[in-house]
Amino acid sequence: MADLPGFQRYQLAFTARLRDPQNQPPLAGVPDERMAVYEEIVFNNLFESVSACFPVARKVIGKRKWLKLNQAFMRDYSASSPLFRKIPEQFLEFLHTAEPELQQQLPPYFTSLCHYEWIELFVASAETSNIKELQPAGDLGNGRPVFVPAMQLLDYEYAVHKISPRHKPRQQENTQLLVFRNADDHVKFIELNAVTYRLISLMQNNPVSGKQALTLLAKELQHPLPESIIGFGLSILEDLRSQGVIIGTHD
Amino acid sequence: MAIISQIQGTGLGLKRELIPQIQSLHGQEQLANINFVEIAPENWISAGSKAARQLDWFVERYPVVCHGLCLSLGGPSPLNVGFLQQVKTFLHQYQIPVYTEHLSYCTDGFKGEQGYLYDLLPIPFTEEAVHYVAQRIRQTQDILGQRIGVENASFYVAAPISEMSEIDFINAVISEADCLLHLDINNIYVNSVNFGFDPHAFLRRIPGERIIYSHMAGHYRQTPNLLVDTHGENVIDPVWDLLEDAYRLFGAFPTLLERDNNIPPLETLMHEINKIADYQSKAGHRFTAFEHVPEQMAG
Repeated sequence: MADLPGFQRYQLAFTARLRDPQNQPPLAGVPDERMAVYEEIVFNNLFESVSACFPVARKVIGKRKWLKLNQAFMRDYSASSPLFRKIPEQFLEFLHTAEPELQQQLPPYFTSLCHYEWIELFVASAETSNIKELQPAGDLGNGRPVFVPAMQLLDYEYAVHKISPRHKPRQQENTQLLVFRNADDHVKFIELNAVTYRLISLMQNNPVSGKQALTLLAKELQHPLPESIIGFGLSILEDLRSQGVIIGTHD
Repeated sequence: MAIISQIQGTGLGLKRELIPQIQSLHGQEQLANINFVEIAPENWISAGSKAARQLDWFVERYPVVCHGLCLSLGGPSPLNVGFLQQVKTFLHQYQIPVYTEHLSYCTDGFKGEQGYLYDLLPIPFTEEAVHYVAQRIRQTQDILGQRIGVENASFYVAAPISEMSEIDFINAVISEADCLLHLDINNIYVNSVNFGFDPHAFLRRIPGERIIYSHMAGHYRQTPNLLVDTHGENVIDPVWDLLEDAYRLFGAFPTLLERDNNIPPLETLMHEINKIADYQSKAGHRFTAFEHVPEQMAG
């Protein structure tokens, strides 16, 4: 720091104070009242961006803890994205990399809950390109089902979608969800059972027809009557099409 | 699809809240004075397909200018070249001819990363800072292959280590960087109150021929000698007086109304935009900056 030009040494003392007004010294020759303007606007900006994305997480841990957590985010995290939209994602990254001491003060489901709240924003603004040669009414059994491009398949250790200040999970509960942006640009969540979750991930990872995916699934389940799985599975796929998760097929 | 000489008259900062109103009233006489609109690239780059469709709608109907927030021209971390490339692609994609940024910084290079703080912080006015900022503006212009405009920022803290006045700093940077000036009339007024100088004297020292366009906005009066640049109130009379003075000094240049908080219905904003247009029609013609400079630099 000593070899930096004077104006940069000043800038770093200035931002150090903004990051941690409680512990960093005030700047010599700068009136407190004026510095306070920056301390407030910089923190409030960040705090509002983060708070807007995590309304449930914020309420679940309470005002005081939420404030402290955001102060730690301001103090300890070096944001790398110039896009305001990415502030919540960087907050998640901060939670993942936070000191164990801080992690221990948070409920065990907290990071999952934050991820669940953030994913809505992520899917809402995910970049997608048009899919070519799509057959919207194609046969889901013989064709390859095509999923809506802005979609995430999620697997949590807690029932994150049921959490509220009045309903804080006491134990783990494996939860599979699908979140997607439909044709009207609305973000929708669907709770999946384990079998449907597996079926969708099989089709996402392999270029297979609906029937091939269901045959693979029946094998995995060691089901005595694969035909019944296929019949049942095709109705699941049709249901996903009616909800806009599957948007058609490819040959 | 605009070229730089189409940035004329009066404009409006495009906020998401205003989009439905503009779309439904487009083409009607009451919006006639929206001649161009301004967006922050940080809010529109990689913003998803809905935003892209909205932006398509606007670029087909209005000249659009980009006014950046996070380039951190005065910041201690290296210039974010990856981001600047994104901006360049974005400007090309939407055929946006103008990109301006603030004479401020918003990063601190914390932990070896950029360390974005997402606000406009004051650069100390020192000789070393002039060269540093001018070099980064030149680097930006080289990467983009076009001149940028830099805006005089509002601020609340005067660095005790400053070696010159704000106007000397601005003039030194602009001349060394050979860039354009994005003149914010409200910021001159805000700073004149916050630091006790004569805003009209400040204005007279502006290099008028470099003005690409200007901003009008309202601010919040926290105490009689501390104004905060919120863009959340109506424009006040002393700022209108400054605009009038600026047009008298330099001729009418393109001027855009910024309203970012406490946003009233579009109809109300149009009163202020129409008032800017009135001031412009009373002022003399001006040879605009882009009639003096090439539209695009080589490269």
